[in-house]
Amino acid sequence: MNRSFFQQKRDRNETAARALLFMSALVCCLLVVLILGFMVVTGLPLFGQNQAMDLLTGAWSPHNGGYGIAPMIFGTLWISFLSVVISFPMSLGCAAYICVLGPHGKATVMKRCVQMMTGIPTIIYGFVGVFLLVPLIRNTAGTGSGMCILSASLVLAVLIAPTMILFFIQSFDRVPRSWLDAVDALGGSRVQKLVYVVLPACVKGIVTGTVLSFGRALGDTLVALMIAGNAIQKPDSLLDSARTLTAHIALVSAADFESMEFKSIFLCGAVLYLITALVILGARLIERRGTHE
Amino acid sequence: MTPPKIKIESLDFYYNTHQILSNINETIPENAITSIIGPSGAGKSTFLSLFNRLWETTPGARVEGRIQARFSDSFMDINDPKLSVIQLRRAVGMVFQMPNPLPMSIFNNVAFPLKLAGITEKETVQNRVTTAIKACGLWPEVKDRLDKKATTLSGGQQQRLCMARALVMEPEILLLDEPTSSLDPRSGAMIEELMVQLKPRCTLIMVSHQPDQVERIADQVIDFTPGSESCR
Ligand SMILES: Nc1ncnc2c1ncn2[C@@H]1O[C@H](COP(=O)(O)OP(=O)(O)OP(=O)(O)O)[C@@H](O)[C@H]1O
Ligand SMILES: [Mg+2]
Repeated sequence: MNRSFFQQKRDRNETAARALLFMSALVCCLLVVLILGFMVVTGLPLFGQNQAMDLLTGAWSPHNGGYGIAPMIFGTLWISFLSVVISFPMSLGCAAYICVLGPHGKATVMKRCVQMMTGIPTIIYGFVGVFLLVPLIRNTAGTGSGMCILSASLVLAVLIAPTMILFFIQSFDRVPRSWLDAVDALGGSRVQKLVYVVLPACVKGIVTGTVLSFGRALGDTLVALMIAGNAIQKPDSLLDSARTLTAHIALVSAADFESMEFKSIFLCGAVLYLITALVILGARLIERRGTHE
Repeated sequence: MTPPKIKIESLDFYYNTHQILSNINETIPENAITSIIGPSGAGKSTFLSLFNRLWETTPGARVEGRIQARFSDSFMDINDPKLSVIQLRRAVGMVFQMPNPLPMSIFNNVAFPLKLAGITEKETVQNRVTTAIKACGLWPEVKDRLDKKATTLSGGQQQRLCMARALVMEPEILLLDEPTSSLDPRSGAMIEELMVQLKPRCTLIMVSHQPDQVERIADQVIDFTPGSESCR
């Protein structure tokens, strides 16, 4: 009698707990969908005045009623892509040194440094970029302000490097110890170990880590805002100034709430959201394919 | 008894401050099977790792004393910093307790040490790999599937593949850490037979937990049981 009473009570508690947890999970999922929906709906008025394609591919000229966000899309993709291209060899080398090539002591110190780098506020990178890198680029290039795609990409490359390095390290550390022992015992050098065993075993992890870092670069606001110069134009060269979607949102959200400029940032948000979601989805897909093999 | 191949003098081994081996003095005869026995944790695997310096991959590990091995007629100190550890490991093969084939084809597994050593001439590679696989009695079982992944083999076959991989460099010394403990009796017997066959061209050092195995094939026994200093 007593027993069943307690049993029942526990069951009721469990049901309540389950319901609560389910609700919180549901709220999270709904939020993700709702945010996207919110951005699309608030961006809709733009579609009344322009063709949809114009918005995505056209130029930005508010005075003529042109609210095309193409320059920003290009700016975002250029800066993010370039930063990944710069960061990739640096990060792969660093992770390889920490996990395979370097002596244990130095490797540990370096790993701690990388972990610490993830904690440095983005604004610090922005500062360093503005006061050290931008003048350097300006003087080296001989033209322009130095606030350009190249400068922003270089700083962003440093910013995303820790993410990439730690992801690569995680992937390298999953290589079975018995394989490494086998190479050691057979008289393989560290470089041979890296090239013949570790890298082939980690291709999936390396691709996933790179794609995720690309996602991180896409979403970063501050570095591009401070360093890329924010000119709204389709960039032609690395030394051109550019504005990213994120920087555009940050800059315009300070403007008049009723203006069409303001409405355009919701479209920017939606586009950014979609690109990032696709990138992350892609990364997950690659990762899953890896574990099935 | 055959002449000594390895001489170990007042050897101590530490993991950080933890002493694992203390004051070991042993001689290992050439072209013979020396068996290391003793309870778990006595330091048998550690002892084995001294001969190819595999212990160096463990941070905090440290060795004191002398181990001299005779390669081409003169004894040299294995721990001499001037001695290339890579060269050493090519002359001292090792077979682990768990078969550890690499994630590549059967053929490439056996060819891997040659690749590491920079031996790329196709015919040479082909011949040496075939010879090594045949020596391990594995040829009839794998000759039609050399390009299949090594992990598709059974445990016993994998272990013999690892033997072949260790033998393809024609090492003068072969270390075996409980090579048959993860195998069924039949596969185990094949490995034992192979070890005996190898004696004319190799010095074998084997860790074993099986007294009957030691009885069958060992020419010398080093006992790591604390308090015992027995040699047979
Ligand atoms: N990497 C390591 N770091 C610290 N201590 C270690 C390490 N490897 C082994 N040891 C310690 O050294 C001692 C000897 O280990 P070892 O593996 O040589 O024993 P073993 O005789 O081979 O045992 P088993 O029969 O179980 O294989 C053990 O006490 C173990 O805890
Ligand atoms: Mg052991």
